[in-house]
Amino acid sequence: MREFVLRTSALAHKEALHMLRDRQVIFLALGMPLVLVLLFGYAVSFDVEEVEVAVVDHDMTHASRSFLARVDASDAFRITAYPASAEGAEALFRRSHLKAMFVVPRGFQRALDREEPADVQLIIDGADGTTARVIEAYASALALFTTADLISSVPTSTPLFEPRIRMWFNPRMASAVFVVPGLVAVVLAIITVLLSGLTVAREWERGSMEQLFATPVGRLSIILGKVAPYVGLGFLQFLLILVAGAYLFDIPLRGSFPTLVLAVFLFLVAALGQGVFISMATKSQQLAVQIGAITSILPSLLISGFLFPIANMPLPLRIVSRLVPARYFIACLRGVLLQGRGLSTLWPQILGLAALGIGIIAITTRRFRRRLD
Amino acid sequence: MNTGTKTPVIEVRDLTKAFGHFVAVDRVTFEVERGEIFGYLGANGAGKSTTIRILSGLLMPTSGQARVHGIDVADDPERVKRSIGYMSQRFSLYPDLSVTDNLEFFGGAFGMSGRPLSKRIDTLLEQVDLIHARTTRTRDLPGGMRQRLALASALLHSPPLLFLDEPTSGVDPSARRNFWRLIRELSHQGTTIFVTTHYMDEAEYCERIGLMSDGRLVALDTPANLKRTFIPEPIVRVESQATDLDPILQTLRADPSVVNVQTFGPALHVRIEKREPEPTERLRQRLKDAGFKAHLQPIEPTLEDVFLEAVTRK
Repeated sequence: MREFVLRTSALAHKEALHMLRDRQVIFLALGMPLVLVLLFGYAVSFDVEEVEVAVVDHDMTHASRSFLARVDASDAFRITAYPASAEGAEALFRRSHLKAMFVVPRGFQRALDREEPADVQLIIDGADGTTARVIEAYASALALFTTADLISSVPTSTPLFEPRIRMWFNPRMASAVFVVPGLVAVVLAIITVLLSGLTVAREWERGSMEQLFATPVGRLSIILGKVAPYVGLGFLQFLLILVAGAYLFDIPLRGSFPTLVLAVFLFLVAALGQGVFISMATKSQQLAVQIGAITSILPSLLISGFLFPIANMPLPLRIVSRLVPARYFIACLRGVLLQGRGLSTLWPQILGLAALGIGIIAITTRRFRRRLD
Repeated sequence: MNTGTKTPVIEVRDLTKAFGHFVAVDRVTFEVERGEIFGYLGANGAGKSTTIRILSGLLMPTSGQARVHGIDVADDPERVKRSIGYMSQRFSLYPDLSVTDNLEFFGGAFGMSGRPLSKRIDTLLEQVDLIHARTTRTRDLPGGMRQRLALASALLHSPPLLFLDEPTSGVDPSARRNFWRLIRELSHQGTTIFVTTHYMDEAEYCERIGLMSDGRLVALDTPANLKRTFIPEPIVRVESQATDLDPILQTLRADPSVVNVQTFGPALHVRIEKREPEPTERLRQRLKDAGFKAHLQPIEPTLEDVFLEAVTRK
């Protein structure tokens, strides 16, 4: 046991020396998270503001003008064109910045007066699906509020409900608050898988793995010694993103920090284990980088719940997502940072992370042969 | 431990290693005694490195047996690893780490730490003459010093048996001589040394030599015995100022007692039938009669002569 600790720490110490002497690693490890936070925080935005729209008013009544005035007054839309008819909508979308067109049909006011459903046609440029969906949501909310107002201004008013929506945890519905916690997982996944993959493959390529095999160092020592320094580096990256997120995007920390630290630790072990596993299988730095990039970026971006809700995925993807550490980690990040949760409700996610981490280290150790044939 | 009879440090019997259809080591049998410098000589790809890797517990033998310190390497490679030092063919220390960082790491890998380790490192650095370079990064060391550092890292845990796989390849001649001085010192202190090389001059330093060719051990003996067995005939070295050695070569070949003539750089090596009493004198006379100016001198056969002979005879 004493020898195990001695050997493992000798390996970890050596690995830390490699890391500290390689300026590229330090630059990559600390620079890339900042760049990505800025990029994602500012660029990946689902917020829709001041979308340019066109309006066609066939009704020309008080009610139709009042409705269109509300469209213009809202934060979401800005009317920039008044075509005579909807005919040229397609060409208009192609030529200009217009994203949508409201068409108020003849008989709008009459329908309202009779308290019958009054239709407003909304034509949306669907080329950008995300924006289109947000426009649709804004427009229907707008229609709902406006209808309530218009009808209540009509003398024969009936009791009406008025929806008051309040967004919890992210009252301004700012994308960054939603994106940055998920980004922590993506950034850590990419960097740790790549770095740990590179370091093991490098030993194979240089021939030092052979020299290492000629010593009595056990395989678990080799793996843990490789992983340990990068856990430290990963924590540093985590804190960096968290601080940057707090300063730039007002990301809060509402829940239990120790729970978050535990989640980070387990996530790092799982991601590093993945990197070590890949480079043991490939034994080549180039291959390890390629496979590492694909298997870390894609799952943690697409099937982790970062960008798309897991509940909306088809069953096979939902099953695969259970093997993606980022899935559990993102749940912990949002849970602790935004929702103020702690271990008492996040334990299933922590357990999932622990299982994946231990699993990948165990498989890697088992598959790892300290032989050259 | 058996004290009465000498137990060999390495015992290899019918050792075979195949990679798919390619047989790298083919039914090889030999023993190495304690304190011996045992040389493994052969061209690249003859199976030298494969043998060393099997004996170091890095490769599993396909069939046959290999025992190191009485332990079967196929059964317990980990115990074997503790009692051997291994220096692989490629320089495999970490170029971005300093001399002492590297040694501290490999010491830790062998379970050493603290004062005993730093004292051991000091001793070794003195022994291999690298004290002045202790903080130098390994990548900045010249070839000869790297080799000595690699040797030191294989010696950290004071192994009684040392495997050196082509330790001097790519190192200049004076650094090679230096390195061999170290190896002989170690052997005097009782370390058994198993070394592979393709430099024939280095093989002369070995007490016994195994000649490998295409995975087979084609000869095994002391350098002197190998020469006696494979080249029993006297050899005369013929040197001449003439730019074209060919006419001389033809004249020598025409002599009935000449077995064979080979070109060795600027000279000719002439093997002559054993029964001839004064071959050098007679050949000198013969060349003089033919009008050639040449310097003749009886010489010992080199291991290169032996190697060429052994490989062709097989």
